[in-house]
Amino acid sequence: MTARDVLAQIAQVLAVLLLSPLIQGFILKFEECVQRAQGPSLVQPYRDLWKLFHKQLVVPETASWIFWSAPVAAFTAMMTVPLLIPVLTDYPLPLSNMGDILGGGLILTLGTFFVNLAALDSGSAYGGIGSSRTVMVSILAEPTLILVFVAITLMAKAMLPFVVNHLLVADAAVYWSPTHLFLVLAFFILLLVETDRLPIHSSTHIEVYMIEEARILEYSGPLLGVLKWASMMKQFILYTIFCNVLVLPWGLSREGTAVGIAAAAITVVLKFFLVACLVIVVETAQSRLRFYRYQEPLAAAFLLAVLAVVANQIR
Amino acid sequence: MLVTHLTPLASSFFSLLAIASLVLSFVMLGSQWLRDYMYAFGLQSWLIAVLSALMAFYGGYPELYLIALFTALFRGLVLPYLVLRILRRMQVSRELHLVVQRSSSLVVGSLCVMFSLVIAYRIAGAVGLTQNVVVLALTVMLSMKLIGFLMLAVRHEAISHILGLLLLENGIFLGSQILIPGMPLLIELVILFDLLVAVVCFGVLVRYLLAHAGTTSSRDLKRLVG
Repeated sequence: MTARDVLAQIAQVLAVLLLSPLIQGFILKFEECVQRAQGPSLVQPYRDLWKLFHKQLVVPETASWIFWSAPVAAFTAMMTVPLLIPVLTDYPLPLSNMGDILGGGLILTLGTFFVNLAALDSGSAYGGIGSSRTVMVSILAEPTLILVFVAITLMAKAMLPFVVNHLLVADAAVYWSPTHLFLVLAFFILLLVETDRLPIHSSTHIEVYMIEEARILEYSGPLLGVLKWASMMKQFILYTIFCNVLVLPWGLSREGTAVGIAAAAITVVLKFFLVACLVIVVETAQSRLRFYRYQEPLAAAFLLAVLAVVANQIR
Repeated sequence: MLVTHLTPLASSFFSLLAIASLVLSFVMLGSQWLRDYMYAFGLQSWLIAVLSALMAFYGGYPELYLIALFTALFRGLVLPYLVLRILRRMQVSRELHLVVQRSSSLVVGSLCVMFSLVIAYRIAGAVGLTQNVVVLALTVMLSMKLIGFLMLAVRHEAISHILGLLLLENGIFLGSQILIPGMPLLIELVILFDLLVAVVCFGVLVRYLLAHAGTTSSRDLKRLVG
């Protein structure tokens, strides 16, 4: 473990921390642009966070210690995951041996779990609705996620994201194999579901549609800022797994020099803009599904994951 | 034979395109709107065109580039355009009365795939070719044919019948492209133009049905008239 590796690891966490609002801003702006409106500025999420961190904190009387600790737990979980995955470098950095893909998934879910607890904690009706809906969606999404991980493991014969990255860069036959492309499709549907996009999540905050918003309705001020930032970081992390592990495994730093890290950060932002464009297309073309049709896109994702496993076995 | 000595990259391309076509035929089987059904067919034709071009590249058959171009042009653009025109003239945009529910027809379709996998293993074993690409191509070809037949059997609308027939044709074309890529150019062209004629005939038939029977659903055509 050299000092350079430690610095690179810190740079990875900082990249997730500082660039995640930019991706959110990009999606929000260009979604409006597609509809021929002007849209908010690219840096609007940063301004929102700044504003929230300078506001007064209002806490419900019924809130217990869970209410205080949940945002911190969610935020910490999102800062832990970038240690385990290739954000800027394509080789493992110090502490990245703490967990494999499943470990990263576990920590991501842990953040969601704490926010669910906090939503139930204050005893408001909206919190209950929000957490029950979130749990319902994750019950539908988790099996697919696990199956995608299983298929990745069978494809690369390893559970480490770095190994998958190297395999896909080195072997074009694996990159273009049906297994890999089915995995990409299945993960893309999961990405839409987990980052609060259509066809399940609504972009307008009306009570009957609220899922993610209903959970954090009781929060205000800095704690709300922390939660919003944590959800943007979750989006960034899922984009990282999607791009750097599955779809676009190129353009990461191999040596870990300062120039390489900076170039990798720029490449990562460009890659994420590409994925964000796809997400914007889906958000524009697709309308929100009604509650009893949530299982349809997720069943399609499950089917694709099963196909990926099957295609891998007959390869 | 080309398929027996493909590079790993080429065989993963071919299996990808074959499986993607099979998935698209399931999209056709499960779709509710006739328009989606047709878009899936157009996309499938484009995939088959890409497959022909790749075959031309890896096998060194320059005439297949021409076939790829024609496939993309006729199957990917002209046929969907003609079917869209027919669709626009008809008042129906979806299948209203289903013999078999969409989800059950998906299950029947997957049974067809299993059946064709068994047959494909038998055929490949009998011919002495046991490469995965060969078995896969045979499976996809047979199951696309069976799914095409299934759609002809369980759907009522005339437009579904056209698309079922076209799917059947696509399956044969895909299999022939992978298994025997060196077919004479003339035969391939004849197949392509045959389809064009079929769709035009169906267009005339649909107009006739609309004018004389007022419907294009075979459900309403049970009564004999003199």
